[in-house]
Amino acid sequence: MTLATGNDVELRGVTKRYGPILALDTFSLQVGAGEFFTLLGPSGCGKTTALRSIAGFITLNAGEVFLKGTRVTDLPPHRRRVGMVFQHYALFPHRTVAQNVAFGLRMQKVPKGEIADRVEKTLALVQLPRYAGRFPRQLSGGEQQRVALARALVTRPTVLLLDEPLGALDKKLRERMQVELKRLQREVGITTIYVTHDQEEALTMSDRIAVMQSGRIEQVGTPLEIYECPQSAFVADFIGNINLLRGTVIGHAEHQAAVDCRGAKLRIGALPGAVAPEAVMALRPEKVRLNPSEPLDNDLAATVVHLVYLGDSVLYHLRSDEGIELQALELAQAGGVRHQAGTRVRVGWRSEDASLLPLTSSPLPRGERLGEGG
Amino acid sequence: MPRGVGRGAEPPSEEISEGPRLWVRLALLLPFTAILALFFTVPLVLMAVISLSRQSFARFEWALTFKNYVRFFSDPFYVGVLWDTLWLGFLVTAAALLLGYPLAYHLARTRTRWKPVLLVFILSPLLVGIVIRCYGWMILLADRGLINGTLIEGGWISRPLPLMYNQFGVGLALVHVFLPFMVLSLTGVIKRIDPALLEASMTLGASPARAFWEVTLPLSLPGILAGSLLVFSLAISSFVVPILLGGFKVYVLPIIVYEQILSVFDWPFGAANAFILLLISLGIITGYIKVAERALRGLV
Repeated sequence: MTLATGNDVELRGVTKRYGPILALDTFSLQVGAGEFFTLLGPSGCGKTTALRSIAGFITLNAGEVFLKGTRVTDLPPHRRRVGMVFQHYALFPHRTVAQNVAFGLRMQKVPKGEIADRVEKTLALVQLPRYAGRFPRQLSGGEQQRVALARALVTRPTVLLLDEPLGALDKKLRERMQVELKRLQREVGITTIYVTHDQEEALTMSDRIAVMQSGRIEQVGTPLEIYECPQSAFVADFIGNINLLRGTVIGHAEHQAAVDCRGAKLRIGALPGAVAPEAVMALRPEKVRLNPSEPLDNDLAATVVHLVYLGDSVLYHLRSDEGIELQALELAQAGGVRHQAGTRVRVGWRSEDASLLPLTSSPLPRGERLGEGG
Repeated sequence: MPRGVGRGAEPPSEEISEGPRLWVRLALLLPFTAILALFFTVPLVLMAVISLSRQSFARFEWALTFKNYVRFFSDPFYVGVLWDTLWLGFLVTAAALLLGYPLAYHLARTRTRWKPVLLVFILSPLLVGIVIRCYGWMILLADRGLINGTLIEGGWISRPLPLMYNQFGVGLALVHVFLPFMVLSLTGVIKRIDPALLEASMTLGASPARAFWEVTLPLSLPGILAGSLLVFSLAISSFVVPILLGGFKVYVLPIIVYEQILSVFDWPFGAANAFILLLISLGIITGYIKVAERALRGLV
């Protein structure tokens, strides 16, 4: 994780209203040099608005934008030196691949010989060396994507902005482009801000992720922090699959809390600071054990209601005798499915594998952290 | 154009419909083709033959002579009229393009719910009959018309401005009625230009004006081409407007044709006039398409 010293991109208290809708609500952000930073959230959470305010396409209602420490809030897009890749690539259809890539250099009045040289090098970088003379419509989606990337990179911008660039590709190609994109980003060492609603994409590529909701950041952290220690039920729910159980806190010691959920007493990991009486317990399905060999902190009797065979794993839908609904994920054994629907099982998990989250989805004060930490 | 089938290219869709069978297609084309052949091609051929015939002492004689064409091109008056006609067509087209482009751009990009109303406004010149529209312009443009009358009354000018019975008046009325063709041709094309292309060019360092010049304008060329061809061919063949607002002081070829056939009764020469206009405008249009196509392909 890159610390915010000498930030390449900084947003301070940015607010943008569209009529009654608050697209960005005193939004602040710091992205360090060379960092791959992802804005992740459902559609309408303001992630694209945030990206577009960095590019300069949006007149802000309040707040400031800085690029490499220089205030650019009032600069038009063409004077900000950002590189941007659009969702549908936005390649100039009337220009060849080479002309598309050369466009930015032409605008910068780079000498002709140097343009040809840099275009060639950049096309080689995105592994399209022999495509210079083709037109965008003659390329596949993945190839167009690379050209768009080359066009954005060739001008050596301060920051590379990517707006759901893989959204239009099919799954296999998307996964390959994720790896490719990350390789390129590391090779060029360019500060990158990536917008996506796909949590898997965010987890695989990012140095840090900001999970957004309703124009605000819910949580910023490394993929590991976001996945392992979500600070709100929203983040927990948005990233991956998770069990969220609502309950009442009945006991609270330094390293453990007890929560009453439908009459069952559940034990949950370390909790510095005060806790509201009503809370949500978050537990990843892969941390739930079925018929554990040794006794765990939590132990419920349950029935397998339904199961989903996923090939490499099996997802069990369980209902405990108290009526608690839980999901458990197990790697598929050699014998395939271990428990059939209708079977009685014992369900267990370690207290430190579960975390206690506040009931509301509003972000917690900075630094305060629930769950087991790190 | 061959489609790229490099790595990761999408497989071609297998649901390409072959469309109706050949005989169905031919049958569907037949009615219009028949009408066109009977009422357009045959008269056109007839006209070509007549234009090669001879008129002597008000009597029509079949012949095969280029005398009518020679007469046209050796008389500076007729060549002058031809030139005036083409020049008028060019001016009207250019004016319609310059006035229509911003209108079309707005119409293509606006998200107002009043869009249908805007469209009706733009089409409104076509909803008024040609004679009424011309008399409307006369009321405005005449020496004692609304504009000159007001200006003289107000003491701004002492003599009326020459607004009518000249190329200006004719051009103005023509632009007025042909503007919808230009706007509609442009709107469809501009609407299909992805706004992200402009944004992309701006992030690459193009000012808004440069982005327009490099991206929007080249990509609207098909619309400019279609609109210009429509307006140009309509303008050079217009007849009523030049007569009413030109008052026989602005001569265009269609007026000559009219006079030759209906007043002078020299059918061969009238037909030759019409044919010359047709061939020259076809030549100009072909040249224009060629140039525009090259511009569309290269564009740097």
